[in-house]
Amino acid sequence: MQDQLESLILEAEQEIEKCSAPNDILNVRAKYLGKKSVLNGLYGRMRELSKEERPAFGGLLNSARVKIEAFLESRSEAIKQAAWKKDSSGFDYTLPGVSLSRGGLHPLSIVRRQIDEVFMSMGFEIAEADEIEDEFHNFDALNTPKDHPSRNLADTFYVEGGKLLRTQTSTVQIRVMEKYKPPIKIISPGRCYRNDKPDPSHSPVFTQVEALVVDKGISMIDLQDTLQSFARIMFGTKVKSRIRPHFFPFTEPSAEMDISCVACDGQGCRVCKQSGWLEMGGAGMVDPAVFDTLGIDSEIYTGFAFGLGVERIAMLKYNIPDMRILFENDLRMLRQFRGEL
Amino acid sequence: MKIALSWLKQYLDIDSGVQELSQLLTFAGIEVEGIEEIPALGKTVIAAEVVSAERVPKTDHLRLCMVNIGDMPYDEKDENNLIPVICGAPNCRAGIKAVLALPGTSLKDFKIKKAKIRGIVSHGMLCSEKELGISDSHGGIIELEPDVKIGTLADEIYGLPDVSFELEITPDRSDLLGYKGIARDLSAKLLLKTKEPAIPALPKPAGTLKIGLTNLEPKLCPRYTLRIIEGVKIAPSPQWLQNTLLKSGLRPINNVVDITNYVMFESGHPLHAFDYDKLATKEDNQSHPDIIVRLAEPKEEFIALDGKKYILDGDELLIADGKSPSALAGVMGGQGSSITDETVNIALESAAFEPGSVRKTSYKHKLSTDSSYRFERHLSAEYAVSISDRATALILEIAGGKLAGELLDSYPQPEEPVVLGVRPSRFELLIGYEMDESRMKDILASLNFSYVAKGGFEHGNRHGIDILPAQDERDAALYFKIPGFRKDVTREVDILEELSRLDGYDKVPQPEDRQEIMDRHAYKINNAASDWLVAHGAFETLNYSFVDPSRMRCLGYEDEPDFIRLINPQSANQSVMRTSLIPQLLTNLAYNLNHSERDIRLFELGRIYLKQDGSHKEPKRLAAVFTGSAGEMHFAKKAGEIDYYWVKGCFEGWLNQLGLNYGVSPAEHPYLTEGESFAYEIDGVELGYFGRVLPPVLEAWDIDVQILKQEVWVLEYNVENIAEISRKISRVYQDIPRYPAVMRDLSILVPLEVSYQKVRDYILETDRSLIQSVSPFDEYRSEQIPQGFRSLSLHIVLQDQEKTLTDERIDTLMVLVQKVLKEKLNVSMR
Repeated sequence: MQDQLESLILEAEQEIEKCSAPNDILNVRAKYLGKKSVLNGLYGRMRELSKEERPAFGGLLNSARVKIEAFLESRSEAIKQAAWKKDSSGFDYTLPGVSLSRGGLHPLSIVRRQIDEVFMSMGFEIAEADEIEDEFHNFDALNTPKDHPSRNLADTFYVEGGKLLRTQTSTVQIRVMEKYKPPIKIISPGRCYRNDKPDPSHSPVFTQVEALVVDKGISMIDLQDTLQSFARIMFGTKVKSRIRPHFFPFTEPSAEMDISCVACDGQGCRVCKQSGWLEMGGAGMVDPAVFDTLGIDSEIYTGFAFGLGVERIAMLKYNIPDMRILFENDLRMLRQFRGEL
Repeated sequence: MKIALSWLKQYLDIDSGVQELSQLLTFAGIEVEGIEEIPALGKTVIAAEVVSAERVPKTDHLRLCMVNIGDMPYDEKDENNLIPVICGAPNCRAGIKAVLALPGTSLKDFKIKKAKIRGIVSHGMLCSEKELGISDSHGGIIELEPDVKIGTLADEIYGLPDVSFELEITPDRSDLLGYKGIARDLSAKLLLKTKEPAIPALPKPAGTLKIGLTNLEPKLCPRYTLRIIEGVKIAPSPQWLQNTLLKSGLRPINNVVDITNYVMFESGHPLHAFDYDKLATKEDNQSHPDIIVRLAEPKEEFIALDGKKYILDGDELLIADGKSPSALAGVMGGQGSSITDETVNIALESAAFEPGSVRKTSYKHKLSTDSSYRFERHLSAEYAVSISDRATALILEIAGGKLAGELLDSYPQPEEPVVLGVRPSRFELLIGYEMDESRMKDILASLNFSYVAKGGFEHGNRHGIDILPAQDERDAALYFKIPGFRKDVTREVDILEELSRLDGYDKVPQPEDRQEIMDRHAYKINNAASDWLVAHGAFETLNYSFVDPSRMRCLGYEDEPDFIRLINPQSANQSVMRTSLIPQLLTNLAYNLNHSERDIRLFELGRIYLKQDGSHKEPKRLAAVFTGSAGEMHFAKKAGEIDYYWVKGCFEGWLNQLGLNYGVSPAEHPYLTEGESFAYEIDGVELGYFGRVLPPVLEAWDIDVQILKQEVWVLEYNVENIAEISRKISRVYQDIPRYPAVMRDLSILVPLEVSYQKVRDYILETDRSLIQSVSPFDEYRSEQIPQGFRSLSLHIVLQDQEKTLTDERIDTLMVLVQKVLKEKLNVSMR
């Protein structure tokens, strides 16, 4: 009897070993432990034995059952694991992953968005106006003398019908001040045009951002403060800014804005021509004559304005040596700015 | 804190309306969290006497009462002025005086009518306080004092109508935890004088009882006063006193306890009364009891007024008698020495406790009381005596008795007066407008800040320090003595806050209206359009605004558009302003193809320049060009080519996300193929188009499609129109369906001339409320399909917002769908 049980266990073990799916386990369990199994039949034959023999025989049957259960259990666990455990031998984990194919913004757009964000966080609004302008908004209202050289064909593009392509986004200031009463706090980013041949630092089409603040009690402190905040957010907290006297027809006092050279931290290098400073654009307090033209009481309101060149900022930030690169739209350039924030 | 308007009026002559008063309080910094109007009850709610109360047979709680309504006119009263009323309250019994609401009375929640109960007609209702709306108590019917005259209106008894305000007092303002404080702030706001209650001069002590007072903890108890009143008669409080407490949410208990509560609510300063005769002596042979202010012993036990036993830690401040604790100082009195009906002699405590100690004890033993709430917020010791006097005078008046001995007052270290300076120049600097000195003095005088002198400004308490002359106007300061109850005012800036708050924040000049110059929505739409293209793998290009005019003809236009021409162009191929973004994008495409790029996706967002009615306009557009693989190259996962479905998905995807409901028609651009190019609009407003570029057009840019073996696709969004149309769309949250969605598949044979969209629309129309979506998962054309047909397989998602869908309901619907498709489109099942 004991031998019969031993071989039954062995047989079960071999069959269990061959199981490869949860269903196989169920079938084998039914065969060896189910109602119609040999083992179950042997339990029925207990009655034929004497009282003395029964416990020993029962013990044998039970231990056989426990053994088969254990085989089933371990095989079932193995099948479960095999279902999710991968054979990683020969897997080359160095092959590239699948990447989402994202494109990217043009570096000028990236810088424009950065500038927008800086100024919007300071409470500025963004204003836009047409690029094809009349002489009044581009020159006269900005206090430019009739015979000023910037009005020449060699400097300014004119279109049929007497209009011109604006030479700076200051035109937007005029249009906004015509339409809205102070307080005004805007930037006007957009395209400007000057009759310059394309070269490393010139382009007939370029992008400017102008800022204009008009309110009661605006002083050069506010100009300095805005400029300083802008420079620090754009170029880092180490950057210093300064203004120095200059001339623009539409501001009085007028200034040029400089920031300390971002390439050498103001130590002097090739980028800043050893001066330690980089020119960022023109600035100043709005000339009372501009306010007068627009019917804003210059005794009550004061204001400041400044203009920044977006191409120049992008070139400084990303070390782009030639402005023309920005208008070639070469994917090998554009791809470099994928993911830039 | 809950305050009643009638009570507040005792301290200030206000004639403001309820809403106006609420505004005044809120803008004085005392936020009104709720207003409860207690309406008048009218002429039919009166005091009446229950003459008899017989149990109604076969009920366990109803009684038939005969109620005497006196002279009150009522048609159905008998010759003895009696009417029958059924009452179920347990305290209803013969002999009591109660409040009766006669039929016709409208109470807050219901209307009283004659009613037949168990065959007996009841003429009205005997009321509880809750039913009358004067408190939340619903313990039984009201029992009036026996001396109330029958027929007296309830309105007269309770002082109705009235209004109560629920106020939020900020934790820094302990002075507002009493009616007088609220009145004081309002007086400063309204520049009215407050009315001080008249306290009669206290009589000379005539009693003989004595008590000992020892303060062992002067740090934790800066001041402790005690006064003995002999021979009081404990009784219910007079009606007016009960009313005031009820309307502030307090339960009347007896005259002495009610008076201590009354004075606490009036002044903000808690008091406590002990039963003198329950206080133990220190030594057994001593003739008088003792009050000892001391710390608890560790494990010392104390049974409080709430009947609970507290095991003390040892750091609680106690008011003990000669043997054991009589009160947790400033938190709760003890049960043993509380005032009961038998009390004859009382010891009245008026004290000041250190806030931190009270807070700790209250927190540790989870005992928060009206008293601890106030002491935690730091009360001044300065007023302990005047508050004791006020309560004493009321007790003598209402409960009788006589004083025994002089007031005992332990006040070892009187509070130092605080004198602070405030600069008018600083007010202007911080608050932003000028306030003249006289206005400052007026406001602060209303708050009991007394003016001391003018001089040069110094920070800090200047009490007892000479004030020097000011050097200039900016330095000039007004010095005020700060009242003791304003523990929150310790610096100049605190005074500036008082001035600004009570002058009104509305006096702070409003900034000028700033007009909205920026079109924020259009700004976001432009950025979103670019971001959408970037997410689809496209790179942004930027091209000059002027172009070669001949390039437009290359697009297939027969005539050049009416260009805006430059007078002084740099070259002929930059001589006109662009009227489309497409030519330059094709130039960019050709450039990059020439530089060995094959998979190219480019877009530009920029202006085009169009002539219009003798002038011009410069609308913005976004245009894109696509060719090659639709994904990054990968050795194992092949991305498809950019094709009709990809471009359509890209183009429509953004419009769908914006929630636009567009119409579609073939795009009419000469550079696009027919049948694959479509324009989108809403009510005739163009949104844009997409399509495949005709190979001959590409040849003009030297792109040979034969060699390239790729399709070239373009799309264009009219971002300005999209901005306008999407401006009005607002998103509204929809409840997430609570019942599961079910998906059914349908395989159908569709005649070749019937579009998928038609099929989809007919299916959706069958039941808009149940059919959530239709989407194709297979299209099949083969010879096994009957001639002139194709096979389409669709997923149909069904969902009911109200309940789980049953199989029967789904089956019925699907049969209907099949019927509709067959009848309308000649579509049959596969």
